[in-house]
Amino acid sequence: MDFDLSPQQQQRVDHMRAGAGKLPATEPDGIAGKDSWLAAAELGMTGLCLPTEHGGGGLGALDTALCLEAFCAGGADTGLAFGIAAHLLACGTVLADHAGEPVRAELLQGLASGTVVAANAMTEDDAGSDLSRLTTTAVADGDSYVLNGRKSFVSNAPLADVFITYAATAPSAGYLGMSAFAVPRTLPGLQVGSLLAKMGLNGCAAAQVEFTDCKVPGRYLLGPENQGNSVFQRSMTWERACLPAIYLGAMEGQLAQCVDHARSRKQFGRSIGNFQAISHRLATMKLRLETSRLLLYRACWYLDQGRPAVEAAALAKTAVAEAAVANALDAVQVFGARGCLAADGIGQQLQNAIPLNIFSGTTEMQREVVAKSMGL
Amino acid sequence: MATQTREDISSQLLTFIRESFLAGDPEGELDADTPLLELGILNSLNTAILVAHLGEDYGVHVPLIDVTATTFKSVRTLSELVHESLSRK
Repeated sequence: MDFDLSPQQQQRVDHMRAGAGKLPATEPDGIAGKDSWLAAAELGMTGLCLPTEHGGGGLGALDTALCLEAFCAGGADTGLAFGIAAHLLACGTVLADHAGEPVRAELLQGLASGTVVAANAMTEDDAGSDLSRLTTTAVADGDSYVLNGRKSFVSNAPLADVFITYAATAPSAGYLGMSAFAVPRTLPGLQVGSLLAKMGLNGCAAAQVEFTDCKVPGRYLLGPENQGNSVFQRSMTWERACLPAIYLGAMEGQLAQCVDHARSRKQFGRSIGNFQAISHRLATMKLRLETSRLLLYRACWYLDQGRPAVEAAALAKTAVAEAAVANALDAVQVFGARGCLAADGIGQQLQNAIPLNIFSGTTEMQREVVAKSMGL
Repeated sequence: MATQTREDISSQLLTFIRESFLAGDPEGELDADTPLLELGILNSLNTAILVAHLGEDYGVHVPLIDVTATTFKSVRTLSELVHESLSRK
């Protein structure tokens, strides 16, 4: 067991961290536009785990996570990082693993270079955790499929050029009767709704997406018909294992902010970091960051080894999500009145952390996964 | 285990599904051909429980790619899947 990064990993991480600090300045909590995406793409962020033959970095899960972490530790906006991670992990991995050659050639190069933004369109009003309630349908029509339905919360939708979506192709087979599709934004019958106002991760724009008699050529079917569940579950294992790494980076930056503040802020004639009420709180924040980081690295390593990673990913996501919220609450407390003001971004960190307990499978569902894997 | 017949496996799976997902099936409605997915008896959560059960009680580990509408259609198709896997051991 070796806990050190290899020289190559260290070099990559240093590159991402340094590059993140030089990204064009955006409005605080504003939406990251194409210019931000392209600047991140220059660093290699938009192609990390995509195949090298299509311009990607060819990285495995652990190396992808290390880069995502470094990107946020270097100061990149958490919302932008979330959008890029969703583009890579919920969409890029699916295209790389399941698209036929013409579609791979058509889309992957663009995804890797950041000129094509991908969005994952799965969640519906009545189908959040329970996929058997999916109402979007895809009916075969000659060499095409006709899609109808509405996806209620699609991150990246306002910017996206292609949507990875899931629709029932055999409704009588319940959640095992769905299929995965890539749907280019330009197809008639696809409509992106207005911007959704959110509590956090505002750098990543989100909207509803509606399909109305949207005719999708058969070459855009991803994987075999009715195999959408296995396609989706695999993408979610990637997302649950890797994506929370952006929060590890954000937590690292947050902790450094808190330590600096604890050293410089004086009350009763001494730095507040000299009070155990503060110093122990900071020690606990560090403990949460380090323990959840190890679980995340392990889940990614399992994925790279081709070992079953579903339980490990569920444990990692839960640990990072709970650490991110707890640390963000502690950060507000350490900063006191300043934590309640917007200028330092401390409150925004809390608002960014909470959604990690919801997206890509709620923390409750992750605990279900862990409980089931123990035979309960 | 390898000597179990399809009928043995079917009977055990019926009992498991009745007790785990149908509150004991008091009306005795479940049989080997009941469409489990169509009726929503197997949703993603229940399927995960069933897959874990097949691994623990039969040593049959069903990879995600084999969890399909064909193999998980009914207790009959599931029994076939388990029986075949055991025969190959």
